[in-house]
Amino acid sequence: MIQVLLWAPLAAGLLAAAFPRRSAGWVALIGPLVSLVLAIVVVAEFDSGAGLQHTVDESWIPDLGVRYQLGVDGISLFLVLLTTVLWVAATAWSAINPPERARTWLLMFGLAETAVLGAFLAQDLILFVLFFDLMLIPFYFLFGVWGEEHPGRAEEDEGPIRPQPAVTKMIIYTLVGSLLMLAGAIATGILAADGGDLTYSMEALRNDPLRTGSQYWIFWFFAAAFLVKMPAFPLHGWMPDAYRIAPLPALALFSGVLSKVGAYGFLRVVLPIFPDATSHFQEVILLVAVVSILYGSVMAFTQTSARLVAGYSSVAQLGFITLGIFSLRPDGADGAVLQMVNHGLVVAPLLLIVVILAARAGTDDITRMGGLAMRAPVLAAMFLIVTMALLAMPGSANFIGEFYILNGVFQEKIVYAFVASVGIVLAAYYSLRLFQAAMHNRKPEAIESREIGWREGGVIAALTACIVALALWPGLILDRAEDSVKGQLAATGEQAPTQVAQR
Amino acid sequence: MDITWYLVLSALLFAVGVTGVLLRRSPLVILLCLELMLNAGNLALLAFSRSLGDQDGQVFALIVMVIAACEVVVGLGIIVAAYRRRIPLNVDELRTLRG
Amino acid sequence: MSATAYGWLVLAFPLAGALINGIGFRWLPGRSPGWIGTAAIGLSFLSALGMLVQVLDVGTDERTFTSSLYDYASAAGIDIQMNILVDPLSTFMCLIVTGVSMLIHLYSVSYMTSDRGFARFFTYLNFFVFSMLLLVLAGNLVLLIVGWAFVGFASYALISYWYRRGTATGAGMKAFVINVVGDVGMVLAALFVIRELGTLDLIGIFEEAPNEFTTNEGVAIAICCLLMVGAFAKSAQVPLHTWLPDAMEGPTPVSALIHAATMVTAGVYLIARFWPVFELAPTAADIVAVVGLVTLLIAATIALVVTDLKRIIAYSTISQIGYMIVGVGIGAYSAGLFHLLTHAFFKALLFMAAGSVIGAMANRQDIDLMSGFRRAMPFTSALLIIGALSLAAFPLTAGFFSKDEILVFAADRGGWYWVFVIGGYLGALLTAFYSFRIGFRVVAGEPCTEARELERGHIHHAEPENPATGEREDTDIGFPGPTHQIAEREWPMKVAMSILGFGALFAGFLQIPGVTDVIETFLEGTFEESKYHDTVPSESAAWTGLAIGGVIAIVGVAIAYYMYVMRPGVSAGLIRRFRRLHDFLERKWYFDEGIDLLFVRPTLAVGRWANATFERYVVQGLVAGATQLTKGANAGVRGAQSGYLRSYALLLVSGFAGLALYFLLQT
Repeated sequence: MIQVLLWAPLAAGLLAAAFPRRSAGWVALIGPLVSLVLAIVVVAEFDSGAGLQHTVDESWIPDLGVRYQLGVDGISLFLVLLTTVLWVAATAWSAINPPERARTWLLMFGLAETAVLGAFLAQDLILFVLFFDLMLIPFYFLFGVWGEEHPGRAEEDEGPIRPQPAVTKMIIYTLVGSLLMLAGAIATGILAADGGDLTYSMEALRNDPLRTGSQYWIFWFFAAAFLVKMPAFPLHGWMPDAYRIAPLPALALFSGVLSKVGAYGFLRVVLPIFPDATSHFQEVILLVAVVSILYGSVMAFTQTSARLVAGYSSVAQLGFITLGIFSLRPDGADGAVLQMVNHGLVVAPLLLIVVILAARAGTDDITRMGGLAMRAPVLAAMFLIVTMALLAMPGSANFIGEFYILNGVFQEKIVYAFVASVGIVLAAYYSLRLFQAAMHNRKPEAIESREIGWREGGVIAALTACIVALALWPGLILDRAEDSVKGQLAATGEQAPTQVAQR
Repeated sequence: MDITWYLVLSALLFAVGVTGVLLRRSPLVILLCLELMLNAGNLALLAFSRSLGDQDGQVFALIVMVIAACEVVVGLGIIVAAYRRRIPLNVDELRTLRG
Repeated sequence: MSATAYGWLVLAFPLAGALINGIGFRWLPGRSPGWIGTAAIGLSFLSALGMLVQVLDVGTDERTFTSSLYDYASAAGIDIQMNILVDPLSTFMCLIVTGVSMLIHLYSVSYMTSDRGFARFFTYLNFFVFSMLLLVLAGNLVLLIVGWAFVGFASYALISYWYRRGTATGAGMKAFVINVVGDVGMVLAALFVIRELGTLDLIGIFEEAPNEFTTNEGVAIAICCLLMVGAFAKSAQVPLHTWLPDAMEGPTPVSALIHAATMVTAGVYLIARFWPVFELAPTAADIVAVVGLVTLLIAATIALVVTDLKRIIAYSTISQIGYMIVGVGIGAYSAGLFHLLTHAFFKALLFMAAGSVIGAMANRQDIDLMSGFRRAMPFTSALLIIGALSLAAFPLTAGFFSKDEILVFAADRGGWYWVFVIGGYLGALLTAFYSFRIGFRVVAGEPCTEARELERGHIHHAEPENPATGEREDTDIGFPGPTHQIAEREWPMKVAMSILGFGALFAGFLQIPGVTDVIETFLEGTFEESKYHDTVPSESAAWTGLAIGGVIAIVGVAIAYYMYVMRPGVSAGLIRRFRRLHDFLERKWYFDEGIDLLFVRPTLAVGRWANATFERYVVQGLVAGATQLTKGANAGVRGAQSGYLRSYALLLVSGFAGLALYFLLQT
């Protein structure tokens, strides 16, 4: 079943290439839909105490010890669901508004979904690295071919940003990280084998950790890949350009899901396989996370491009997620898992709304927008809900995520929690600023305020409904992720959970 | 007869061929020098075949000749085509493949 | 039905109202959204009465009920239930909130009639009440924070309700951000609570706290101070008060709702609710009381000079909340809550009357332009005077009894608490003066143009402009609607104001020293274990206090009468004499400028600096580093691809030669 879940999107993407342009989108939608249904089944059948489930374990490259191992546990469970949900939304969006060369576009979508799902499902280190790098290929084409030139920030004397250089920058930057990770993965396998049989199975590597000295340097190889991917301060250099040229439906996926793969990688690979290094460098990463939060928030606060507000807010939010993971406590990491799903669910509709705003205003410069709520109450209402979730208003699942994260950090290193909480206030400001600048105040002459169409509205409404549903019951994710998170943390020597409830 | 003299001759022929390939600029001469190297190889093969009393070496030499013939056909064809298109017949100027 | 079942109903009705109006806005005709909203709150009020009956049904010691619907978010040692807590305090608050809100809804049905966002208005209004009720009924700290933040959100939505006005959206943003500052304080307090007490359940916290904390332990003070940040942000105490006057950008019923029933009283409720923790940290409680005192004096002085009708009332709210904060800070919980009750009546009334006057003035709010409405609007004028009397604590009105109870309690605690008594009475003098500054200037004197027009039966209608900026209003959507409503012509406004007027005059009789003590007795279930519970001022002290208060109120009113009715030129002369002081007060003690200078500008400057330098050199430098590395490696490999046939051949030959040499040497 999990095999179908993994490969269906790619298969549907290939199939769609054989259909005429008009119906290709709806054919390609079959793949993500199949995956979504299967993901829901997997969630429904999930047994939170049973560890890895739906496992597949085949020999793949026996000489190198690489195996084709897949499986789902509490951590990947909802990320898989998130991926399938967002891909259904984005594919449906593309079917409604087919871009040029739609069939290639859809093929890339299918390939990308398979790659992302593969990264979430892989239980073999090399397989993980391969899927991780495979993700880049479709997005290289999606951004490079369908990207649009952006005028750049006039107030910064910045010239126009062209898609090709921006995407090349992104690819090279992330590839440098990925290559380091590949080297790290191979080194791990070889060092762990110690002359015996090579294996890259994560479970085996976990049971037989490396010596501390090796862990220290390999840790940074992996951290480089994940921190660039998220992106975390100060490795976010590719983000401003790439976010501005990217075609928005693809960017919604990129920002919603791919950035989470980095955080997921920490939880899946780094914590259990390099426990000593993790404990040793905990403070460094916490510092990076806190600075990401503050820096991302302050930058989001001063940007005029709606895309960049979303981009820098992601830097800040991923900072929170990293903070939770590196609290090395079950509550913090559990919150981080919840927050990954939340952020994906929020940022995707946000960027889709930016598409609509940009279509109305002809620019993504928020200082030149305004008054769009006038004839579009439904759009305004959905945007407002998304905004409130983005700023983690209490009552949203994002708040519960942040609360768990902050609690984890607070109990571990109190200072970071206090500094990070400044980020919450800044988040309130930049989120509302975005909303108000677009929807409220006077309407400039050139802008047309009109209601969102029902098909596009349906896509955003479905995502908004997910946000609301999760807000009513964040326990859904917290409960199921808890045991797996504890398992991942077990090796870092911090496995004792807060025994607060029993006191 | 001692095999050494054949091998020495073969080595000398090969060295002449290598020198030609490395030093000359005309593709035609380079091709001739390549033939020379191939034949140096053939000579060595035949010498070994004879001294060891094994026929395989001769068969091998025949195959080399066939391949050499093919190569000459293709190579000369290219040279003639290049000449017709007035492309300079100087390998130092034919470097569009540089990185 | 049990008390908690009623509690859930109290919550359910406003939420349902908000959903119906919010989803059905396109299909609901005419005034129906207003009636739906009002009915929702009315049903909620009835449920609150049911709750009251159930609570009274059992003995004083057993009046605490909890009920949990489901596990909201419980994992990894943190237990957060979707639960409510019904006890005398929450019942009391629910009754005030739903009762006063219902009247405000009723008033709004008329007042907002011509606004195009009618359904949206009632959606927000119902949601606002729902949030406040959630805050009040919440059974654990996280749920309380949720209600807390919902209140902030609803206030944002309503303050920037006329979103075409730049000043309104700015004010909404300010209110929201300051409220988030408060939320963060609450969240950090909750994290401390988890660490120290291991539970977020309110009852659990109150049971554990005395076992875990010694008196004035550092952590207990930290928790209280963080809670205080939340309370001060919401209750508009110095220095987080600046959003409240700006919040006057919202429609007048919204101001009434924020000030009387829902939002600003939340801080008072919070401190009263957390009395077991505050009593363990007396230092924190003292800080609370001192801030309350400072606020009440600062706000009262500002109210002396501002000329915007609604802003005067807004500053009076800040000042009156200061009294309540002093009350709960010094341990006079039931007195503080009693003042909350009477304040809800007279403040809602004052705003409604002001709304009616503003309607007659075609949305102009400057009291310098108003005068002589007594003949044109007899009903409004009468009710405005009733509200002002109660605010001024004129003898026998509601405010008279409640305000003095707080001050007498402070006197009874003795020692340095006398500061509160002196400050409180000084504030009372200012209050009496400025409340009649409103009263006399609106009601008395020569009728202004608008009043004359109204006497002839016609409501003035001007091209609307924003009083703050002078900019022409954009009437395309909503603001301010083609017609203006005054209480004289609309029965729902009249009914709502009459009931509140009754409350403002007679609610004080619930608790007359030595005669009745309805509120104190009822709240006993919540506060009986407080160490101040037995501190009851003697009857003679109470009556002395009342006498002093009465005299002060009469003096204040008399000064106002002298300045605005007998010698109308005096105030202008005073302004000229004390120009500096007047400017200082008119700029509101420069709080806005200070916050701007200390927080907003530095953040913006850092952002710009980061954009211009850091982002460009360091972050892009790292990118450039990665690309340079790749390029460098690339250049090395590229050098070998010369395109010279001979160099390739040489490489080949030397490679083979090398290999051959290697094998030769091996053998």
